[in-house]
Amino acid sequence: MDASSCFFSNLIYVMSTLLEKHIVELLQERNEKAISLLYENYGDTLYGVALKVVRNEELAQDVLQESFVKIWKKSDSYDVSKAKLFTWLFRITRNTAIDKLRSVNTKTNKEIQINVSDVYTLGVESTKPDLIDVRENLEKIEEKYQIVLDALFFQGMTQQEASDELDIPLGTIKSRLKIGLRELKKIYDPAVIAIALLLSNLF
Amino acid sequence: MKEKIRIFLETDLLEKYLLENTTNEESLQVERYIAMYPEVKAEYDALQDNLEAFAKMHGVKTPDGLKEKITARIRGEKTGRKKFLRYAVAASISACLFAAASYFFYNENQDLQQKNTIVSNQIKDLKQDMKAQLEDVRNQFIVLQNPKTKRYTVKGNKKAKELKAVAYINPVKKLSYINVSKLPNLPEDQCFQMWAEVNGKMVNLGVIKEAGSENNLMALPYGENAMSYITIEPQGGNKTPTIENIVANISY
Repeated sequence: MDASSCFFSNLIYVMSTLLEKHIVELLQERNEKAISLLYENYGDTLYGVALKVVRNEELAQDVLQESFVKIWKKSDSYDVSKAKLFTWLFRITRNTAIDKLRSVNTKTNKEIQINVSDVYTLGVESTKPDLIDVRENLEKIEEKYQIVLDALFFQGMTQQEASDELDIPLGTIKSRLKIGLRELKKIYDPAVIAIALLLSNLF
Repeated sequence: MKEKIRIFLETDLLEKYLLENTTNEESLQVERYIAMYPEVKAEYDALQDNLEAFAKMHGVKTPDGLKEKITARIRGEKTGRKKFLRYAVAASISACLFAAASYFFYNENQDLQQKNTIVSNQIKDLKQDMKAQLEDVRNQFIVLQNPKTKRYTVKGNKKAKELKAVAYINPVKKLSYINVSKLPNLPEDQCFQMWAEVNGKMVNLGVIKEAGSENNLMALPYGENAMSYITIEPQGGNKTPTIENIVANISY
């Protein structure tokens, strides 16, 4: 990593931390602006999370609405020392989505089918242009790693459950997770994104 | 120690904790490890970053208008809270009113219950009174009509020469009555009192208020060889008869 990318990576890090701090402060003051900022910065990501779980745009919109109401109501319970802001937002959204799916499924009396292979493609159609680079990058991660990451992060499976569900030995799950995370780190390295952003702004 | 951390990281507790899939106990354990071991903290932070990165990659553009819907709902929550407060205040006031009303009606009810008891007692007393009076009248009738009834004329001694009374005694029905028809005038602080000695016991029959009409019969306790006395006693009556003030006696 050269000096400039190091500078950008630090800058991005400082900026995102400052933004996070600002949003948390606003939330704790029960300032409505917090919701607006949260939506602008995390809305698309959380909508993606909801979509991944419920796999229906209408339901996902409901989930996002309910999640934001929960975020607003629970804002005093957020503990900075226990989780990053995004982790907290992700947990709320994911749990809301799972609850939604359960209530819909009990209504329609259908089994929840976890079909991991079609999960990934759904997001791609409606991915916003800004994210295309990242999506392209995502494709750099081999599908077998993605499936493991997906099962653990989105489906909330334990490694054992993922092993059972995907019919892959536990040891393989562990190693694929390790490699998947390493690949992810390569793509997500803030310095790379900073440069990409800088370049996209220049042209 | 390193081994312990390695074993901990080998389990997927940290990943489960990341997604809030741990039990309370497990969460406490994970939080303890994060607080105690920088290696674990670093791993947890890395996982959080990875989660955010992975999720961002799957970000999907939110549909237009959703933001407005959400902010409107949040605003609704806020006013909802205000509304809730307003309702809470209203509810408290009505609860207070209800409590006050309850207290008032409770007291009222207690009062009415008390009154009811008094009235029903009065009715009971009246009934008993009427029964006694009816019984008395019936007995009088029996005594006066019964051919077995003996009639004694009672006259006063020296101390009350004007005293006149008639006693009716019926040994069959075991009833006895006296009709005091005339009494001499007494000083204001004195009165006539009636007594009966039945089976060796002196019974106070009360003060003779006035010498009345023929109908004014006074019941006497019946007994074999009983004696009745009329004495002059201080106004209001005495507990025991004053023997020297006996003005008349009836033996039956």
